[in-house]
Amino acid sequence: MPQATATTAETKLWGGGRSPFNVSYGKMMMWFFLLSDAFTFGAFLISYGTTRFFSAVWPDANQVFHAFPFMGEKNLPLLFVSLMTFILIMSSVTMVLAVHAGHYGDRKGVIKWLLFTIIGGIAFLSCQAWEWTHLNHQGAWWGSFTDPSTPLSSIKHFFNHETAETAAFASGAGLQATHDFYNYFFTITGFHGGHVASGVVLLILALINTVNGTYDRRGHYEMVEKIGLYWHFVDLVWVFVFTCFYLL
Amino acid sequence: MSSHSHSEHNAQHYYEGDQSKLYSGVMNHHFGHDLNSTESKKQVGRIWKVFWILLVVTVVEVILGMFFSHNMPKGLVAFFFLALTLFKAGYIVAVFMHLGDEMRNFLITVLIPLTLFVWFIIAFLADGGFWLHMNKTSPTRGATTQQEATH
Repeated sequence: MPQATATTAETKLWGGGRSPFNVSYGKMMMWFFLLSDAFTFGAFLISYGTTRFFSAVWPDANQVFHAFPFMGEKNLPLLFVSLMTFILIMSSVTMVLAVHAGHYGDRKGVIKWLLFTIIGGIAFLSCQAWEWTHLNHQGAWWGSFTDPSTPLSSIKHFFNHETAETAAFASGAGLQATHDFYNYFFTITGFHGGHVASGVVLLILALINTVNGTYDRRGHYEMVEKIGLYWHFVDLVWVFVFTCFYLL
Repeated sequence: MSSHSHSEHNAQHYYEGDQSKLYSGVMNHHFGHDLNSTESKKQVGRIWKVFWILLVVTVVEVILGMFFSHNMPKGLVAFFFLALTLFKAGYIVAVFMHLGDEMRNFLITVLIPLTLFVWFIIAFLADGGFWLHMNKTSPTRGATTQQEATH
């Protein structure tokens, strides 16, 4: 009996004090949220990969993504998506500089770098809107290219020349692959674009709070740091989307 | 002691804690310190160095994708792109997200669940490949897929 009492007395709730991970609860939860989000994106990309492994033919990124705004019909493979990637990397740099300025309590610096980051995010979304519109004008959308009577001439230009000559391409695998490719493309880049858009909203909220001096009164800029984690994660996902859709 | 600290707590305190007790190194709060100090400039320099690494790797990837990937073995191309992608991801997570500056046990806590991806990727891609094989070789499939098998 006395022993049992002693055990009960020892097992009480943690009284607080020093965090074992040296991070705040909010920041740790942001990391765990991002971990779960990584699995969501991972599931999307792996299912894309599975469908691709399943398909006898697959569209060629150099043929699908070759246009650039105001360049007409000029063949510029991967150039536009490289620009989008550059914009997102750049906005990641300005974001981490905002976090750095926050560590030093430099309000003006935080405002400046957050503004640049927001501009980068909006620029990326505009690029994506252009790319989606361009592909849509070629007949691509969710659920497109399902009609078996679709002439091969309307999907041939998404594939490289050798693939477009194969029997599998002509027998229907080409149409099925085009359909699958665009469903995955719009779903995954759309889910990523949704993340960018909500990131821009969060950044604008952080900017308003910074301008109002909320974080100065609080004594720290950890909110900027947590939104920064989210923003870098969005950049990180793009690195993988870029590889899976445009390079491989 | 606990009743005393509870009275001070508000929602924000629960989420962000006592910041003075958290963080060290570049993650520390340097309020009142000079943004032009050597320590600060060193961190900014590190950020820009990572930017250049990311930019150069991306340019290499695009050049590889545009000009060389069609004349190389598929497996080698995939290996190159995935290696470069993981290389970039490592820099973003370690420096931009400051995970490299966090405590080692927090770093491990975040990274260990991601190892599940290894099995996840192998299992699903093998399944996709197997189904393609089945479609090409199964006698119940149409003559068109039979033709493809000979290609």
